[in-house]
Amino acid sequence: MSTQFVQAVWGGVLFGSVYGLMALGLTLVWGAVRLLNLAHGAIFIVGAYAAYWVVAFLHLPILIALPFGVLFAGAFAYAMHLVFIRPVIGKPGFDNSTLVATVGISIAVSAAALLIFNPEYKVVPPVLSGSTIVAGVQITYQGLLVIVTSLALFGLVYAFLSYTRQGMAIRAVSQQTEAASLMSIPVVQTYGLVIAISGALAGLAGVLLAPTFFLNPQSGFNPMIQALIVTIFGGLGSIRGALVAGFVLGIFESFVEVFYGVSWAQPGVFILIILMLIVRPNGLFGIGEVRRL
Amino acid sequence: MLEVKGLVAGYAGSEVLHGIDLVVNEGEGVIVLGPNGHGKTTLLRAITGLLPPRAGQVLFNGTDITRWRPDLIAAAGVVHIPQGDLLFPEVTVLENLLMGAYHGPTWAARNVRLGRVYELFPWLKERGGQLARTLSGGERRMLALGRGLMSKAQILLIDEPSLGLAPLTTQQIYASIQTVKESGMSLLLADENANHVAGLADRVYLLETGSLVREGLAQEMLRDKALLESYLG
Amino acid sequence: MNAGALAPVAAARAAVDQAAAPWRRVPRTAVGGTVVAGILLPLVLTRISIGDYVITLLILFFMQAVVAQSWNLIMGYGGIYSFAQVALFAVGGWTTAVLSHSLGWNPFISILFAPVVALLAAVGIGLPTLRLRGVYVVLLTLAFHQLARVFAVTGPRFISGGGYGLVSVPTFQFGNAIGEQRLLYLYYLAMVIFVIATFAIWRVIHSPLGVAVTALRDSETYGVSRGINQFRIRLILFAISAFFTGLAGGYMTHYNGGISTSVFDFPRLIDLLAMIVIGGWGTFAGPILGAGIIIGLDQYLVAIGDYRALLEGLILAFIAVFAPQGLWPLIRNTYNKYLGPEPPAPPAAVEQPTPDLGATPESSGGGA
Repeated sequence: MSTQFVQAVWGGVLFGSVYGLMALGLTLVWGAVRLLNLAHGAIFIVGAYAAYWVVAFLHLPILIALPFGVLFAGAFAYAMHLVFIRPVIGKPGFDNSTLVATVGISIAVSAAALLIFNPEYKVVPPVLSGSTIVAGVQITYQGLLVIVTSLALFGLVYAFLSYTRQGMAIRAVSQQTEAASLMSIPVVQTYGLVIAISGALAGLAGVLLAPTFFLNPQSGFNPMIQALIVTIFGGLGSIRGALVAGFVLGIFESFVEVFYGVSWAQPGVFILIILMLIVRPNGLFGIGEVRRL
Repeated sequence: MLEVKGLVAGYAGSEVLHGIDLVVNEGEGVIVLGPNGHGKTTLLRAITGLLPPRAGQVLFNGTDITRWRPDLIAAAGVVHIPQGDLLFPEVTVLENLLMGAYHGPTWAARNVRLGRVYELFPWLKERGGQLARTLSGGERRMLALGRGLMSKAQILLIDEPSLGLAPLTTQQIYASIQTVKESGMSLLLADENANHVAGLADRVYLLETGSLVREGLAQEMLRDKALLESYLG
Repeated sequence: MNAGALAPVAAARAAVDQAAAPWRRVPRTAVGGTVVAGILLPLVLTRISIGDYVITLLILFFMQAVVAQSWNLIMGYGGIYSFAQVALFAVGGWTTAVLSHSLGWNPFISILFAPVVALLAAVGIGLPTLRLRGVYVVLLTLAFHQLARVFAVTGPRFISGGGYGLVSVPTFQFGNAIGEQRLLYLYYLAMVIFVIATFAIWRVIHSPLGVAVTALRDSETYGVSRGINQFRIRLILFAISAFFTGLAGGYMTHYNGGISTSVFDFPRLIDLLAMIVIGGWGTFAGPILGAGIIIGLDQYLVAIGDYRALLEGLILAFIAVFAPQGLWPLIRNTYNKYLGPEPPAPPAAVEQPTPDLGATPESSGGGA
């Protein structure tokens, strides 16, 4: 096997699990709350900066910073829900309001990051350092960790939604809000739970990816666009779809990058998604309006 | 146990219910009879908080539950089986049933409750893995009923159990409601057909254009064909 | 039937017509007065010391207002969540920049192609996009924005100018006019573009097309069931919006003498969004008001530097959630309440069928 090929596969699987991790939170919120959370990228850097702060200012190891970043991002997302999402739930202008509000939040977060830290790239240490060489390609242990974590989280979220009381309630709310409330499921709190979980997932992605992507106030934007693409490619609200689409797009992008050059990667992905939307407007796992989680 | 006083409710711009007074006692089967479009569904929705009432009071075991959130009213034990069943379409029959037992204290006893629901509707057990949206109309109604029974309901509010069903299925549904009632459950049923509810009813209210116009013991009222015909047509 | 019976019918008919065609109610004096004031204002301004600076701000205001209005036309009225607005602005800017810079055309000729190419680009994006639901539109237009940026930075040299955009694009020249005289000409050109765009958008909103658009926005199912072809209408609206956006892009390019790849920076997009949201989403005058507010505030906000973006983001979020109508309906209602002309007296014995416009701020009937 050629080095190039191995490089492309490794990069693709790594990208794929990264995109999947970001998309998982996005698709979860869309599926349950019908909220297109354009602040998802902002929550991503909230988690990463929180972890950076623990490492750089408290001088604590990354293994403590990681859970801190995750919890902080989850709490941030929940606070966003309380202040900006909850007041408009069930109101006629929900789409407009949340669209603008989440854009506003992501601007404010970038600006706050710029003020608190500075525009320079921050280094967050990897959880696992070191690497090994396979067929001439450097395989980092952190990369392996990202892949394993991503797959594990997909499994975990899937199991949570399928087998637990809260998970089933989330699916119930997403399918029939009124009936859910008649079954004594608190709808708005359930929304808050989903948004917090999604935020924690974004935060985890942020902490794990910061060593690879570098961290500055703008670094949330690209991962979010990628997550949006993956979410739509896989079919909005579909968790299985997000997983598969993450890998398909990751590997596609990686191959384009290795064989045609890095400047073609993003345009290539955009063209792929436009073609896909023409052929299958509902995404790979084309599910209609009702079935979402 | 359930007491409604001067309840006024409606939708934007139009008042549907103009001051309803109604009582359901422990273990009693109370029927609200009235033609379509006279406010039966609105009444049940106003009681269980889906449509916050404009005025009046709803008391449950002496507690004022007016304008509580629907999920808290359900948790208190007032369980509404809505018109159109409102099943969770893309999850299985079993998961639909389990959601009926969502409320914390009930969840622990969900298997016992499942057993009881299976006794009433044995087919639910065999087809637990089927998606709810693939069921037939009668099956959906039974599942909705079963889902309601999974909760720790003290009173069931059932909205037109026969709506859209074939005669044979209708009989089956009312027979199961009868069984439920005999187990001691209080019932508030909204219906438009006096013949269906004869066995269930202890007392009857007649609802016309948003007001209760008659109240009486079922034995007397349901026998009075002339009266019923003049109201229900 | 005798004439006496017809009279109330005719009166009612007139009232219905007025309700159905609100543009007939626009006070001509107010519009005429505003235009005359717009013409005379710079002549006065040139006589005061900071006048020239104010004129440049007004030029900026005219152009930003055109772009914001065009965006509002599709977002606020059409319900199309397009984030391609800045990219379309850039398409217009680059078109005329390349034509005049590389081919040496006169800016007054090349700028005519800016709106046309922007319109074609919009149709190009719209064809695959506008059949899809809102979320897809968000993504695909953001993708278009990104692609356009990448192309502008890494594309061939006559477009990218080496990665920073095109500099030394010919500016507008009006004969031998220089200095203040030239500034006045630039001002009037900008004003003409603003007036044309505003009038066109006003007519679009109040045409059958606009009514159909509003119907679709408020109830898609109903609109479609009434035989409105949603896709076609959205495409037309998108094209109109892109036309004026591209024109503004062309003007700004020749006004600045170049176009930089920094137009694609996200804060630009946010400024425009803030204009619409603060002014009044889906109202006619909202974006114009918003453009004035943002440009005016900017003169003060420069001092707070990086806090500006933080503040802007938070204000945007709070207004979107707690005052989604923006400021315009507030101002209009106050005006109607205290200063507005008396509504025409209801014809005797006929119930006034004119709906209360104050109750439905979306269907703005007020003047510019």
